[in-house]
Amino acid sequence: MASTIFRSLHSHPFLFHPTALIRRKYVILYCTMRSAQTQTATQEKVKPQVKVSPHSTQSKALEKASKDYEAVIGIETHVQLNTLTKAFCSCPYNYGSPPNTSVCPICMGLPGALPVLNLKVIESAVKVGLALNCKLSLNSKFDRKQYFYPDLPKGYQISQFDVPIATSGYIDLDLPLEFGGGHRKFGITRVHMEEDAGKLLHSEGGSYSQETAEVDLNRAGVPLLEIVSEPDMRNGIEAAEYAAELQRLVRYLGVSNGNMQEGSLRCDVNISVRPIGQLQFGTKVEIKNLNSFSSVSRAIDYEISRQVLLHSQGQDKEIVQETRLWEEGAQKTVTMRKKEGLADYRYFPEPDLPGVFLTTDYVDGIRNSLPELPETKRRRYEKMGLSMQDVLFLANDMNVAEFFDTTITKGADVKLATNWIMGDIAAYMKNEKLTINEIKLTPQELAELIASIKDGTISGKIGKEILFELLAKGGTVKGLIEAKDLVQIVDPAEIEKWVEKVLSENPKQLEQYRGGKTKLQGYFAGQVMKLSKGKANPGLLNKILLEKLNAKS
Amino acid sequence: MGSRALLLVKGVSSSSLPKNQLFCNFNCKSHFPRPNNNWVRTNCSTTQSSGPSLEPPDLPRLAQTARISLTPHEVEEFAPKIGLVIDWFGQLQDVDLQSVEPSIRADTEGDSFRADIPETFENREAMIAAVPNYEEPYIKVPKVLNKE
Repeated sequence: MASTIFRSLHSHPFLFHPTALIRRKYVILYCTMRSAQTQTATQEKVKPQVKVSPHSTQSKALEKASKDYEAVIGIETHVQLNTLTKAFCSCPYNYGSPPNTSVCPICMGLPGALPVLNLKVIESAVKVGLALNCKLSLNSKFDRKQYFYPDLPKGYQISQFDVPIATSGYIDLDLPLEFGGGHRKFGITRVHMEEDAGKLLHSEGGSYSQETAEVDLNRAGVPLLEIVSEPDMRNGIEAAEYAAELQRLVRYLGVSNGNMQEGSLRCDVNISVRPIGQLQFGTKVEIKNLNSFSSVSRAIDYEISRQVLLHSQGQDKEIVQETRLWEEGAQKTVTMRKKEGLADYRYFPEPDLPGVFLTTDYVDGIRNSLPELPETKRRRYEKMGLSMQDVLFLANDMNVAEFFDTTITKGADVKLATNWIMGDIAAYMKNEKLTINEIKLTPQELAELIASIKDGTISGKIGKEILFELLAKGGTVKGLIEAKDLVQIVDPAEIEKWVEKVLSENPKQLEQYRGGKTKLQGYFAGQVMKLSKGKANPGLLNKILLEKLNAKS
Repeated sequence: MGSRALLLVKGVSSSSLPKNQLFCNFNCKSHFPRPNNNWVRTNCSTTQSSGPSLEPPDLPRLAQTARISLTPHEVEEFAPKIGLVIDWFGQLQDVDLQSVEPSIRADTEGDSFRADIPETFENREAMIAAVPNYEEPYIKVPKVLNKE
């Protein structure tokens, strides 16, 4: 992790500057933590840190300058829908299928082929539109967006142009506490349906491959939702959290797996920087190739620093409207292409497809079937008295939230259930690389376990042992308690017997204790607990032990 | 463009679409390369009514947007022909459409959607065989660096 920071610093000793790097450091840590929950392998290889080079004076200048500027960030997100078939043909889509196997005349753009819209695409778009608090267009349509590129066999993309299916919404989210926390509301400009292009692979090496590229059309025609945000974000964290919330949302809705590594959720970020107080936006730069939340965050903070530096040196003319690529290895953005005027896509209404008409009944039906969304869930958990850290953890993954909710409906104490889930259960899942749906423990048994500890049937310590048994092998709390004879001993006479046995077997320690070394109480308690095979009620044990220890002194 | 427009004309006349659809489509494509935000109302139903008023297209640019190379000689040859087609469409400007609901395509009867049920296309081999440059498992294309 540290090496990542160092590398970017190292490669631009004179350009970049530590303030943002320091900020970025948190980002990396944070994203790593979060990614353990949602996805794997976002983090960089960790190498031993060499040494951080001393900061140049430039860095101080930049730090100072950054206070005078603000960044304006908007995000375009493409969400690949998890329909079984493509948008306009019945070809099955499975990520990772052998190239060019899932194709037909429609998605290969052969002449005369007629697209027919998959109803599930509309359903998904309506779900997302509603979940993003958008205004739905009951009467929208598809348009052709013309451009020539080999991954687009028809020469145009079927998209929605001037009448998107949903507009003017917003999304709520809570920033994690490690970034100062706080609630944010970001505007959603529009959501529209379109088709994905194929994959163009630029093969490396070989003289022949200099001349050609390779195309795989499996992905051509796969349905996407493009979600465009208002330019409401101001830094990398806000942008990364926005993307994370969209991921959560599409996963809750079940319309996409939201997996960034596979490209099921792709973010293109637009950034401009302007002097604070200026109303008009600065020159906008687009960044592509962001395939994790941490790269979204780091790329943005890098780009902000780059632009602020140029502004502060009076070189803001150097900031041009362009597309830059995030290079994960070098931890920097580089020019991909300059934009020379607006591309002329020559949109026109798609004549091969009927309009998209929604009835209010249809929309209401979908609205009524929506699951509880992340924001609603967080507010509900908050009202249950949970801390924001707990709330964010539980609501982050829909399945964890469902596990928690079920545990509560089975009567478990809210705070205790939270602690078990966030503590030992989460740790186990992480170690074993399992999701909550893969562990053998059921919410019913967790509730049972909590109840058994609460009513004194078993001790907390035994509870923990049983938990690991349940996680790994399943079974019931009652069954395990009986099978292993683990019921907590609350009979004072029995405990007293063990205490006396321990005291008589440890005369030396007893002498020391009575000589003033009262810390030894813990030692005795441990011995008694061991003798009881962990079954003695700890409160009772300590009470009786103290009485005995102090009795003859 | 010319041939495209002619195809469109044929298609329309044979399927007897409302006249304004033809107008709208062509209008959107040739005369307003930049899309209009109020497609329904302005593009189709506000008639620029005074006579044949469509400007002839800039042919070299038109060719470029279609990725077609034309020699100056060809430009000279095609320009009047395309001009004729445009003029023909221009006459449609005179039709009073104030009271006609805009339409962008043929109305289809009933359900024209599809359930999300996978079906594998059976004749994939023939399609792949028709690809000009195919090297298992990829379609080979000239290397392209810039999308725009």
